[in-house]
Amino acid sequence: MRFDDNMDRDQAMGGGGSANSSSDFVRKLYKMLEDPSYSQVVRWGDDGGSFVVLENERFTKSILPKHFKHSNFASFVRQLNKYDFHKVRHNNEENGHSPYGSGAWEFKHPEFKANNKDSLDNIRRKAPAPRKPPQVVDEAVPTQQMDLVNTQLVATQQQLQQLQQRYEELNIHNSILTQELIGVQKTVVNHEHVMQNVMSYLHSVDARQRRDSKAGGPFANTEENTAPSANADPAQQQISPLEDEPASPLQNASKLLHEMSADVQLNYKNLEQMSEVHNRNGAISTPPPDGRHPRAPASAGSSSSMGYAKLHGEQDAVVYPVGQTNGIDPMYSEHIHNIPYPMPSKDETIDPRVSAPAGRKKSAQVDPGWVRAPQILLVEDDQTCRRIGSKFLYSFRCAIDSAFDGLEAVNKMNAGSKYDLVLMDIIMPNLDGVSACHLIRQFDHTPIIAMTSNIRSDDISMYFQHGMNDVLPKPFTRDGLLNMLEKHLGHLKQIPDGMEPMAQNPGTSIPQSSAGHSLKDESSPTQSPSTISNWQSPGQFSGISPTQAVPPHQYMHPMHSGFGQEQSPVQYQVPHTEMGAPRQMQHRRRISEIGSDDISNDPKRQRMYDQTNPMGMQPMARPR
Amino acid sequence: MAESENGSIGLPDLGDSIDALTFEQILEMDDDEEEREFSKSIVYGFFEQADKTFKEMDSALEKNDLATLSALGHFLKGSSATLGLTKVKDSCEKIQHFGARKDENGNPTHYDDRKFLSLIRDTVKVVKADYKEVERVLKQFYRDPDAH
Repeated sequence: MRFDDNMDRDQAMGGGGSANSSSDFVRKLYKMLEDPSYSQVVRWGDDGGSFVVLENERFTKSILPKHFKHSNFASFVRQLNKYDFHKVRHNNEENGHSPYGSGAWEFKHPEFKANNKDSLDNIRRKAPAPRKPPQVVDEAVPTQQMDLVNTQLVATQQQLQQLQQRYEELNIHNSILTQELIGVQKTVVNHEHVMQNVMSYLHSVDARQRRDSKAGGPFANTEENTAPSANADPAQQQISPLEDEPASPLQNASKLLHEMSADVQLNYKNLEQMSEVHNRNGAISTPPPDGRHPRAPASAGSSSSMGYAKLHGEQDAVVYPVGQTNGIDPMYSEHIHNIPYPMPSKDETIDPRVSAPAGRKKSAQVDPGWVRAPQILLVEDDQTCRRIGSKFLYSFRCAIDSAFDGLEAVNKMNAGSKYDLVLMDIIMPNLDGVSACHLIRQFDHTPIIAMTSNIRSDDISMYFQHGMNDVLPKPFTRDGLLNMLEKHLGHLKQIPDGMEPMAQNPGTSIPQSSAGHSLKDESSPTQSPSTISNWQSPGQFSGISPTQAVPPHQYMHPMHSGFGQEQSPVQYQVPHTEMGAPRQMQHRRRISEIGSDDISNDPKRQRMYDQTNPMGMQPMARPR
Repeated sequence: MAESENGSIGLPDLGDSIDALTFEQILEMDDDEEEREFSKSIVYGFFEQADKTFKEMDSALEKNDLATLSALGHFLKGSSATLGLTKVKDSCEKIQHFGARKDENGNPTHYDDRKFLSLIRDTVKVVKADYKEVERVLKQFYRDPDAH
């Protein structure tokens, strides 16, 4: 259609100069027909009163471009029509076929005749608008729309390309991160071994010392007082009473621990840089639901810092009870801030006794807004856990099947039962969860979540090595379970309609969707007795949590508005910044939203944190 | 919410041995707050499980069977943790560790087996006492006529 426009312009210029001169188009047409070499393709009609396009295809491809600078036969015809040429129809003749062949197009105009160049001046372009308004409308609107669509297409392609680049970038970062974390994990494990060796050696030395000399106690005490940094180490203070005598070897051990912590921190430098890069780019990436590889080491890695916490600060006496702050070793909190995910704040840790009356809202039935009920296989030998787990899943509108042990689970899946998610206990009779997962992975790739209280780093890395996709620390909570479902079953969720306006106007009220409800109601309790994942980066879950579901939607938003309101497509020119911004906004919004609910509780929360039970079985910060 | 207030009023006297939040999320699953059918069946199911496990622990202690003790500790740890019975859970975890020849924090330790067995014996006493306490509290909560 642009071609038409060009020609209209040609015509306008040519015709505007002199009323007598014929239009460019007509003269070009005439000139073309004078060329005898085209006679096989286009020529004057037999009587000279018309012209015939004999071979449409060759005409379009080779002749049109030469004379009219385009290769669009339809445009050519349309142009002819504008000058009041008419296609000669042969329907009424004897055989109904054109004498020039069935594929021929014959056009005529009363003033367009071979050997009569003068009459060309009489051929005028029909006045477009007044005479044929419908046609004008037909053509003008589609042209605009086409342009619009074209621009949008280009913009979308750019956007896609940028996304692609971003994705690749993130991929690279991710693998660096992964390697980094694996390194960290190994270091920590090694240190743990070193520590054990050192400690057992020290025990023997110390025992000998005590045997040898009664003066050992005082001596040790003196040394303790003179030892420089070691006194500050909580490990020292904890170990001493534990081992029932303070001795210099233990101080040495503490020193070793300090040195180790430095090592680990060195390893984290790369991570910090990466995180900064992420932050700069405003990318808060959430791993794909089954991006097993990238996540695996990440989780394992951070969990190793938990193992570390245990090693280092004996104050967290219990290893697994998924203690509140375990995952985020307070000693390393600084690097946490560089992680582009929102980390659960320790302040949010709540003492259940206080928080329970503090306005925990219940909603026994949460509808996460599944497209269809997810099929969940719950593999658990303990009846209590199985029943509670089933009940929770049921309240999340899931369809539940259960298996008593790993063997039953493998058999069920081998027999062809299809599930969307498998929740797998680890320690079970007959066949443990890890082995079961290993077997299942030979023929099936349904996401499998380890449900276990054994979440030391080596445990976790083993789970991932055998094909598990995630870990839900036990005792699991309803919220933790729901987060897990939303994280891994995001593809079964519908994006609620209410999201878009919400995204646009941070101030507006909560979306009507149930997902929104769950966000508000379920997240205000902010605690959950065990939880989900200290060791996990919370960004992971939020990946599919209701709020996070918004950003993708948001990207589309400018598109919609572009379409609907026919705005200038300029807005696509900044897809990159747009992309970062909505997420940021989203986060801010989320905080403010939750804040409105909870901020008043914050001081309380801090108090609660101080009161937390050292023994682990505690609520901990919810990642929101 | 009325439901929340009701639940919370009932809960404080559950005491320190029970993690209120964990337990409350199970109570939330009750369709009827008077009957409390679901949570009650879970809790009473746990009572049976605990009684049985304690007996098995006693007999494993007689046989000096550390591995079985560790497994039993793990087993009861899972269900007690899920109910929020913090103290019971912690003791069970210790039993699990001792049975696996580790110290109470789960670090490999070089005691001889008699030491582990005596640690377990002590811990079983503790866990039974803790259990008695939560059983009493819970039976009271469910208005069990047996509650004293």
